[in-house]
Amino acid sequence: MARFNLKDSDEYYLTLTEQPKRFDPDCPVTNVFFDDTNGQVFTVRSGGIGGVTVNSMDDRKCTSFQMEDKGPIISIKLSPDQKILAIQRNHESQSAAVEFVNFKDMSPTNVEYSHSCKWKNAKILGFVWPKANEIAFITDHGIELFQVLPEKKQLKSLKNTTFSGAWFSWCPQSNIVLLAGNNGILLQPFYLNNSTITKLQKLELDSMRPVVERDVFLLCLCDTTWCAVFRHGVSASVAAPGPTEVWLMPITGPSGFHYTHILKTGLVGRFAVNVVDDLVVVHHQSTQTSQVFDIMEESKVENSIAVHIPLVAGASMRPALVEGQPCSMYSGTWVVFQPDYIIDARLGCLWQVQLLPAGLAHSVPKDEISKIVAALLRRTDGRDTIYRILHQLISDAGVYLVELSKVFDEINSVYRKWADLEAARHTAGQVAPRPRAPAPARVLVSQADVCEQLLPAHSDDRHLVQVVTAYLASLSRQELVVQAGTSAAGVRALVARRAGGRLRALVRRAALADSRPLACQLLSLHRLHAAAAQLALDMLWRLKGHEEVVEVLLSWEEPISAVGAAKQAGGNVWNNLPARKLLAGAKNDPSAFVAVYHALLNRNDRLRGSPHFLKAEQCDIYVEHYKKLTSEQ
Amino acid sequence: MIDLRSKINFFFVFNPTFGPKEGDELKRILYFYPNEVSPDARKMQVGLCEAVVKFMSTFSSEPCEALQTQSKRYIFFQPEKNFWMVLVVRIPYTTKALSAVGESQGDIVNPTVMQNLLTSAYKMFKMFRGPFKNIPADDLYGISEQFFTPYISSRHLTNDISDVIPGINYLPLDKNSFFKVVCFVDHLEVTYPDFKCILFLYNDQLLWNGLCTEDMLTLYQYLVQTLLPKQVEIEIQGGVVTAAQRLGRFISPPDGIHVKEDLDKLIKIHVTLEDDTEFKEYYLLIYRTLSATVCFTIDVNTRLELDTVKSVDAFIGPQLSAIASAISEQCSLHALQAAQLASEHKFVYFNRLNLILKSSPPVNKLQISAAIKPEVLSIMSGIHADRQSLGNYGEIIIKTPDEYWITGKCSNDREFYVIIQEKNANLKEIADEVKRVCEAQMKGIFFYPM
Repeated sequence: MARFNLKDSDEYYLTLTEQPKRFDPDCPVTNVFFDDTNGQVFTVRSGGIGGVTVNSMDDRKCTSFQMEDKGPIISIKLSPDQKILAIQRNHESQSAAVEFVNFKDMSPTNVEYSHSCKWKNAKILGFVWPKANEIAFITDHGIELFQVLPEKKQLKSLKNTTFSGAWFSWCPQSNIVLLAGNNGILLQPFYLNNSTITKLQKLELDSMRPVVERDVFLLCLCDTTWCAVFRHGVSASVAAPGPTEVWLMPITGPSGFHYTHILKTGLVGRFAVNVVDDLVVVHHQSTQTSQVFDIMEESKVENSIAVHIPLVAGASMRPALVEGQPCSMYSGTWVVFQPDYIIDARLGCLWQVQLLPAGLAHSVPKDEISKIVAALLRRTDGRDTIYRILHQLISDAGVYLVELSKVFDEINSVYRKWADLEAARHTAGQVAPRPRAPAPARVLVSQADVCEQLLPAHSDDRHLVQVVTAYLASLSRQELVVQAGTSAAGVRALVARRAGGRLRALVRRAALADSRPLACQLLSLHRLHAAAAQLALDMLWRLKGHEEVVEVLLSWEEPISAVGAAKQAGGNVWNNLPARKLLAGAKNDPSAFVAVYHALLNRNDRLRGSPHFLKAEQCDIYVEHYKKLTSEQ
Repeated sequence: MIDLRSKINFFFVFNPTFGPKEGDELKRILYFYPNEVSPDARKMQVGLCEAVVKFMSTFSSEPCEALQTQSKRYIFFQPEKNFWMVLVVRIPYTTKALSAVGESQGDIVNPTVMQNLLTSAYKMFKMFRGPFKNIPADDLYGISEQFFTPYISSRHLTNDISDVIPGINYLPLDKNSFFKVVCFVDHLEVTYPDFKCILFLYNDQLLWNGLCTEDMLTLYQYLVQTLLPKQVEIEIQGGVVTAAQRLGRFISPPDGIHVKEDLDKLIKIHVTLEDDTEFKEYYLLIYRTLSATVCFTIDVNTRLELDTVKSVDAFIGPQLSAIASAISEQCSLHALQAAQLASEHKFVYFNRLNLILKSSPPVNKLQISAAIKPEVLSIMSGIHADRQSLGNYGEIIIKTPDEYWITGKCSNDREFYVIIQEKNANLKEIADEVKRVCEAQMKGIFFYPM
């Protein structure tokens, strides 16, 4: 199968941020913690005495301070507004508690307090900050939600719920906690919002195949929260397990995502998962590759399950540089956090994974180009790559005409959905809320874009006519109205390439919709193609452009027909037609002149009760002309 | 149907400059039909015609068109300088009363039909053999014999509207199906740049054209009158079409293209492509699947490989049969709509610019009377031929003694005829009825109002 290679594109479609955020590497005296809610790395030297440094991709969230060493730290996190620091320590003797330090201007104050869990024997699995002044303790007995009152140095219990869980997963984007119970067979999500805890639909897994903590993630994808589970092997009884699959089960989100998505990796071993621009990125350590899956792609749904294969063949991320030196990729010291963080604690680097859209089109089987474009239409930064692909396809239309046609279909189907939504919004009026589409397209390539940005660059291409036809055909398949600008550009291209026959055929078959600008363009071709003018006149008549028809007929020296057309158009047109213009148009043909003259006298008589022309009509010379003509006879 | 052979007295082609000396008169005769005529009789006929056209040239710069004697009608046509084609038909006559002539009018070949026969014979010759002047004089006799004899014997004149107004039947099709056809053509031409699609027919209806208007008509006539009827006959006789054939095959050359030698059997045509100015020689290939027929040209200077042709075959076959089935679905839909529009009156529409000829569908296929009466046809052909009096626009209503009202409307290169059989009607009623039919049948077409 022939492959399409996007010119000047890199083979990599994923990269790490160019400048990693550096921090002190993990070592016996330094501990590194990561808070995925704020994206902050905490490096704690000697339990805090040696200083605590907070690093983040966001410079406003970086700071450093000192604190006392009160024991080994399990978890350390700042509140979302960076005003309270919460620390969970490993005190085996004491009851489970979390310490708090009030912060001001990113520095600790001396206001410290702590709070213990309500259940005496409970073990705190961790804590999360669902809101600036709300904290939730996740324990093996359940969840306790508090309001933190920093001025009063106390916590007020808001809500609690019991659930016996062994470990949990937290999604800061959606405020959902997933607790695993019953030895990894039952996964129970809770929604922390509005100072309350809502129990959501539980996920029950195959009791034969319980899950472990490292195989479960909460992902936020396409405005939906998903529970992602790595399913290793097909059957436990087989010695050599089959390839790993990622199961995505929806927890909450807008309608449209009801079914489970299965991502087929085709690989075995250690995996990690990120989400970049609504693509699921599955990193595989032993092959040092990352696969991307687009769950919005068109797929067959069977038994409420949609199966996906990687969008393109797996490839490595672009090798990253740390201080100018290549660093080890897919290293065993990497830790992957949601949505797109990668930390190498040994090196002391914090990266974010980024998509390089052009890399997706670096080498694509010919018949998958449209699939890639469809995926790019759903990416935030897809536009540039789509344009590059289109330019290349148009330039090589001799090879890619069919593919180009399919790409146009993808673009126009997105455009069509957008147009429908816009129309619905306008008809529904201002009050109606904007309907949420389950798969919003990020890139819109409108007809104007194609005509103004794409086609002009290809005016000398060999297959311009075929490209324009393919585009018009695609618009027609999507039942989109060909806009005036598009049809004008199309006509220009066809005429410039001497494809007048094709142009007329398209107009005859109504493939180019009737419009006044189109009619005028066709009229202007009348010297070259008599048939174009014939079609233009039909079109004007259909559009009820009666005045224009009269003008055209006069310019073609058909005054009698002009009068006839004006009369047929109705009193308004006929009564307001300047007499002088008609007579001037009929001057060269005596019999036509006499006929038009009589028709006008009749009109005068009917309108004003007298057949004579008004002075203002300036018809004196024509009255003379008439007298001369009739006296000769 | 009129058997042409029994009507045609003579048909000959001559060039007075070929044998200018006395005694060489036979050399001037390039072709003579029928063959049985003795050389002396041939010389006499040609001599007469030569004298007439020469004599007439003193009166007009326009070449002489026709001559009528008591028993014969001569139609002259000078397609190229000094080349004359002449058709001579018998006309019924009686020595007694002239009024009797009218009764046997039906047997008379309409002069327009004769003229059309001559011009289309020449155009066909020019398309498949090239212009007379390009052929070496010595070869002309043989080539003319080879071409005209089968041509004359295969033509059947039906005195049908299509013989009076030679036009093209276009297939009405929705835009998406039409785009399918265009995109197929584009895809093919882009993939095989040597191939140019010049005609796409569905049954006998035209869908896509890549030739200049005049050549389009000639090739269309060749397909519809000569090639396709034979093919359809073969297909019917073949009974069960084999699977391979269902996907499609080349029907020109007639036995298809299977081995290298078949490439030598390719027909050549001389045509001008649409939106082109060059009159050139091309190979003609014709491919057929289900009811779709596609014609291609290839530049004669192209070295055509068997592999290319086979690959084109594999390319077209499946795509064309898919398109043909899609069109056939659309057609049945369209037939339903058309049936609702059916008019009680016969009408004919013709556009000189794209040569579309559309007539009211016969109310009932079994009804022979659906055919237009010869007298009426003759009046229509008169209106059609007499462009001068109607000018660029106009309308004429003619009533025959047997209560036929024939209305001819002319506007902006278009013609529209309505035939109404109505006793006790007046002119106003007929004019209104014509207006109604025109509005109902010719929706969206602008006729210059009167």
